[in-house]
Amino acid sequence: MTENTLEIKNLRHSFNTDIEVLKNINLNVSRGEIVSILGPSGCGKTTLLRIIAGLEKQTGGTVNINETIVSDSKSFVPTEKRGIGLVVQERALFPHLTIIKNVAFGLKGKKDEKYKIALDLLKLFKVDGYANNYPHEISSGEQQRVAIARAMAPNPKILLMDEPFGALDHALKSELRDETKKIFKDNGTTAIIVSHDFDDAISMSDHVLIIDDGLVAQEGSAKDLIPITRKNSFKIA
Amino acid sequence: MSYKNFFDPWIILPTILFAIFVVPVVWIISSLFGEYSDNWTHIYNYTLSNYIYNTIFIIIGTSIGTLIIGVGSAWLVTTYNFTGKNILEWALLLPFAVPPYILAYTFTGLFDSYGTANNLIRDIFSLPHEFIFFPKLRNVYGASIVFSFTLYPYVYLVSRMAFINQSRSIMEVGRTLGFSKFKVFYKIGIPSIRPAIIAGLMLVLMETISDFGAVEHFSVNTFTTGIFSTWFGLYDFHTAKQLAALLLIVVITFLVLEKYSRRKNRYSSGSNVFGPIVAEKLRGSKNFFASLFCMLPVFVGFVLPNIQLAYWALNYKLEFFNEKFITTAWNTFYLAIITAIICALLAVIINFSIRYKKNKILNILSSFLTVGYAVPGLILALGVSQLLVFMDNLLFREYLDFVLTGSLVGLVLAFIIKSFALANSTIESGFLRINTRLDDVARTTNTSGWKLLTQIHLPLLTTSFLTSMILVVSEVIKELPASLILRPFNYDTLAISTYIYAAEERMFDAAAPSIAIVGVGLLPIIILSRLTVKSRPGYRNNDSHYQSY
Ligand SMILES: Nc1ncnc2c1ncn2[C@@H]1O[C@H](COP(=O)(O)OP(=O)(O)OP(=O)(O)O)[C@@H](O)[C@H]1O
Ligand SMILES: [Mg+2]
Repeated sequence: MTENTLEIKNLRHSFNTDIEVLKNINLNVSRGEIVSILGPSGCGKTTLLRIIAGLEKQTGGTVNINETIVSDSKSFVPTEKRGIGLVVQERALFPHLTIIKNVAFGLKGKKDEKYKIALDLLKLFKVDGYANNYPHEISSGEQQRVAIARAMAPNPKILLMDEPFGALDHALKSELRDETKKIFKDNGTTAIIVSHDFDDAISMSDHVLIIDDGLVAQEGSAKDLIPITRKNSFKIA
Repeated sequence: MSYKNFFDPWIILPTILFAIFVVPVVWIISSLFGEYSDNWTHIYNYTLSNYIYNTIFIIIGTSIGTLIIGVGSAWLVTTYNFTGKNILEWALLLPFAVPPYILAYTFTGLFDSYGTANNLIRDIFSLPHEFIFFPKLRNVYGASIVFSFTLYPYVYLVSRMAFINQSRSIMEVGRTLGFSKFKVFYKIGIPSIRPAIIAGLMLVLMETISDFGAVEHFSVNTFTTGIFSTWFGLYDFHTAKQLAALLLIVVITFLVLEKYSRRKNRYSSGSNVFGPIVAEKLRGSKNFFASLFCMLPVFVGFVLPNIQLAYWALNYKLEFFNEKFITTAWNTFYLAIITAIICALLAVIINFSIRYKKNKILNILSSFLTVGYAVPGLILALGVSQLLVFMDNLLFREYLDFVLTGSLVGLVLAFIIKSFALANSTIESGFLRINTRLDDVARTTNTSGWKLLTQIHLPLLTTSFLTSMILVVSEVIKELPASLILRPFNYDTLAISTYIYAAEERMFDAAAPSIAIVGVGLLPIIILSRLTVKSRPGYRNNDSHYQSY
């Protein structure tokens, strides 16, 4: 196996209560791999992503990125130093910045260079025509393309996506899903995608993780998992 | 729209009203195109630059002050938990109850060379009589401080709403893109709510340049004091109007900026999916400074002036309920209630007309009517006086007497123009909450407009009606310059008697009416703080209450 981009060991988490949202999560993601996380609503998928991003500090366990500890009981690397990209369902584009400025926001260096990288990404996601528009002027599908482009721009070690296609209609969703997968594979992007939707998981990822009751209920390659899950008629919340 | 509409009472009434609102303003502006007298030349050559300098200084000072206090406290209160936060969150609105002129009066009582604060310092440290610790406040610096601490709640309210509505994800995405918490705050947090902040700031500035009582007390010459002295010192009505027109142009600029920013804000309020606001707990010195930062404006803008007022009232064995006070209070109350009832009724009729007739022109008219609040009281007084003289000439010429001029009519008219927007915003959102299905059902059963209004809408609007009345009452009670000019002979209101006592430096006598004004001013804050809680995401229909604030 190649070097692990992300390594999570014995991760536990609870929010100031006795209820443990995450009980014992172990997860390895190798470079260039796309992993999907599935599970019923409230099982802690978002919480897991937030812990990886450093937006939440776990109660116990370790998170490693690129073979270095970013969070355990002793140390904690803040979000901005972890080199991750985040895409959320509500897109969260900066409303006061144009599309191109949104994508260039996380980039360092000369203005021309930043805008060139940003524009190339916009082209890749077929939204370069809106470079100088504001977020509220484009459709939600286009907004989501911009949000993914923005997260990829600084070339993060790992891209975290929380239900990135959740708000889109069916046709739009499968189109964007396929394009995104191709871009990720061409680019060698490492990504974790949280989803409610089996189709998302199956069509996009190399590896699927199903979380239930704070534990990893099932795990395997996308192909292996289909029969099992169908048989168990796992309920999608 | 057919010609028939012109004779429809639901349309005629708002149109007449519109004319009454607009004519005074047009009169003022048109004076700029008239003759310029010697007084104008004198003012232009000698004092105008001073007015402009002082006004600009105060605008800049007040902007800096209200932005730091308003945005800073709004940000602390929405993103952190610290000692006293739950109380401070609404206590920060309290200075709304203290009009700038009352804060100015108490400040001179506190900080003048032999004021309470300097005496206290001398007593405590047994310093000589000549020692003066607090610097003089009767200047542009003092005026900026007074406006900052009484008007910041406008900025606080809008920024707090904007921070609450701001998607948490935006900040978090910013952090993953490599920015620290503080950098995210000033690179995304502030800029993305900039339109809201500007809208709030424009309201502050409109109030600031409209103020007469505070700058007059501090002997700072601005446009308002200039208009007043030209009118009542030089008896040059025309030149006063020309000065007023200049001021009005500035006000209109701020007003346009405010409306524009508000529109822009609607787009930039990001996503419609909200993460819950998870306030982070502060500890140690951070906790201390956050509390202190939010406590200071409440202390300076509310607690301190009230301590001084109470001190005057108690120390000088003030007869709170003497006959003069009771008459004055009654006059004020009576005037306020009449205005409030008329405003609320007008707002009901106009909003009903818009809803019932679905008429675009009415809609435009009504949005014009709501800008009356922006017209400084002093300018309203000018315009309304002229309107009354005109009407007197027109209607009562044969009696050779002024009937309307110097009657309560002028005062009520000015107050209606000034506070209609307040009543309207509440009534408007009240109407929005009434399901239009009710109207449809009524129409199918052939119910008349009048019956629909009185038997279905009005009963459902009771709370909005009362709320709008309270807002208007508190506005009327605070109002100073228009009251001072338009009042009938010897008709004192609370604000006027406060002003007159303060002008005579009889501060202890000014205490009782001031306390009454502040007391009534607390009512709308109670309403406002209740609405603020309701207007969190999920209760989003309610936020039209803020639009006029
Ligand atoms: N800040 C918080 N404080 C307290 N409890 C929280 C907090 N955030 C999440 N929770 C709780 O933790 C549990 C897991 O939440 P999480 O958002 O991670 O679930 P999820 O799997 O992402 O759900 P969904 O599929 O609906 O997005 C829920 O019960 C939720 O109520
Ligand atoms: Mg979630």
